[in-house]
Amino acid sequence: MAYLISEEAQELLGAVKEFCDKEVREQAKEYDRTGEWPKEVYDKAIEMQLHMLEVPEEYGGMGLSRVDVAALMEEMAKADAGFATTISASGLGMKPVLIAGSEALKKRACKLIVDGGFGAFCLTEPGAGSDAGAGKTTAVRVGDEYVLNGRKCFITNGGIASFYCVTAMTDKAAGVKGISMFFIEAGTPGLSTGHEEDKMGIRGSNTCDVVLEDCRIPAENLVGAEGKGFSIAMKTLDQARTWMGCVAAGIAQRAMEEAIAYGKERVQFGKPVLKNQALQFKVADMAIKIETARQMVAHALTLMDMGLPHSRESAIAKCYASDIAMEVASEAIQMFGGYGYSREYPVEKLLRDAKIFQIFEGTNEVQRIVVANNTIGRF
Amino acid sequence: MEILVCIKQVPDDSVAVRLGPDGQPDLTGAAMVVNAFDTYALEMAARLKESAGGRITVLCMGGETAKDAVKTCLAVGAERGFVLAGPELAPTDTLGKAAALAAAVRQLEEEGGQPFDLIFCGREATDRPTGQTGPQLAERLGLPVITDLVDIAADGGRVSAKQETEEGWRRVEAALPALVTVTKPAYDPRYPTIKSKLAARKMAIPVLSAEAQPGPAAAQLRLFEPPRRQAGVRVKEENAELSAIRAVELMAAAKVL
Repeated sequence: MAYLISEEAQELLGAVKEFCDKEVREQAKEYDRTGEWPKEVYDKAIEMQLHMLEVPEEYGGMGLSRVDVAALMEEMAKADAGFATTISASGLGMKPVLIAGSEALKKRACKLIVDGGFGAFCLTEPGAGSDAGAGKTTAVRVGDEYVLNGRKCFITNGGIASFYCVTAMTDKAAGVKGISMFFIEAGTPGLSTGHEEDKMGIRGSNTCDVVLEDCRIPAENLVGAEGKGFSIAMKTLDQARTWMGCVAAGIAQRAMEEAIAYGKERVQFGKPVLKNQALQFKVADMAIKIETARQMVAHALTLMDMGLPHSRESAIAKCYASDIAMEVASEAIQMFGGYGYSREYPVEKLLRDAKIFQIFEGTNEVQRIVVANNTIGRF
Repeated sequence: MEILVCIKQVPDDSVAVRLGPDGQPDLTGAAMVVNAFDTYALEMAARLKESAGGRITVLCMGGETAKDAVKTCLAVGAERGFVLAGPELAPTDTLGKAAALAAAVRQLEEEGGQPFDLIFCGREATDRPTGQTGPQLAERLGLPVITDLVDIAADGGRVSAKQETEEGWRRVEAALPALVTVTKPAYDPRYPTIKSKLAARKMAIPVLSAEAQPGPAAAQLRLFEPPRRQAGVRVKEENAELSAIRAVELMAAAKVL
């Protein structure tokens, strides 16, 4: 089973699969090794418009439903999770503007993406991970400008983005209610990129520090109102984390497909190892987990499309899908035996890729807090 | 420039096809796709259009299912597409197909009020590769034909084609109108964009009706599978040099040298 999608999305899925099979899947092995951001691959993806699936139709996008996009995103994740992460993180970077930005900012951000750019979302700081309120980046209003100073870290697309949505303190005394959200275009003086992470997985994506030194931006680049930055960031993450669940489910699906293909080929004791019920049960458990994760992703996305509350479901989808992606990737390695531990075979990469999905866009511990709060309620 | 690209819908040639119990090819699992050489022809036509201007029309023989093949082309460079439905012709009847296509070309030219300057065909189909339909269509239409192109350029009323030969390639020119057949060029066909794919879905694909043709000039006597490759001999000595010597010995013993 897969996502229930429209006929037009089914046709697109065929084209996306062909693209990923020819241009991403095998190439990913090399950039997993080098850690290079493969510009030529992304250029081709941009040409095919795969980078702008989440842009709303009124701002030049496709008008596909979120579940339609999820089917395409999973296909990209199956080919390479780093590739899918770059594209999805661009959607994340755009969301604060779509949620709370002025009409002019919405048009600007979407145009930058439609024209072949990526977005980046900058919340995390060295001393402010799960505790986003501990951020030290500041924004001071001077005339009709804001002046930003600070350092953001672990920023996906940090080094390659066309624009950044950045949180900064406009009122230090007010805690999270003193955080505001700003839209900054790449190339703005005072904005630079720093340390680039040498990551364990999703190595085809770019992750680095974004540094703000007296970075001056027009006051109209404030997204929403002063003091609303934290709330905008949380709404952004509420939407975005389902997509991380979608990519994680894609990693798990790839792991299961690799395990099945290998289990049919590998002969021990005179028969393919997958003839052993012990391994068949492993595959059954993988399928149970993946399908459950995928349908949870679909459910959270459907709620979003319908404009219904989705914080809890989005957190469940991200948390569950990333947890099972780790389990399924690990079991896939087990089914490959010693070969699974070798970099010559595809499954060890999947485990390395899967791990980050339990960490970013809110650790799975934070997800459990969100689920608990939304389930138990105040008492 | 008015360009026509003739395409054929074939079973996916990346899927191995075996004969079924009824002696016919078992196409289960092989999706119907646009013949690979026709995709090269369309890409070459699209590049020519982008440099010289013009419009591309795609024509595919077949019924409703052929519309999928035409839609695929509408997403990667063609402006309009038609399918040509009619009495089913024997698979061997390339002359009949060429005649039916020629009649359709005339009809499109009459209805459109202008003739095609250039007609592209793939060099052959991947399912029944005879390589005949293109040249036969040219003959029917009374057009000059250049086969096995790997590139083309337009210059006024002429085209200059790079034709693949057994030794390499040569430059052949022709006055327009003309028909060309295309082999694998140095570039790959483009991917559709998401938007072009969605737009192609919504385009109307009119159905032309093909006239009945006299019976085929060639008959199919029997269908059979090529013999399976025998397991080879693996030569793996201590090093490459010894392996080469051993291989030569084996070939000498088998009297192939």
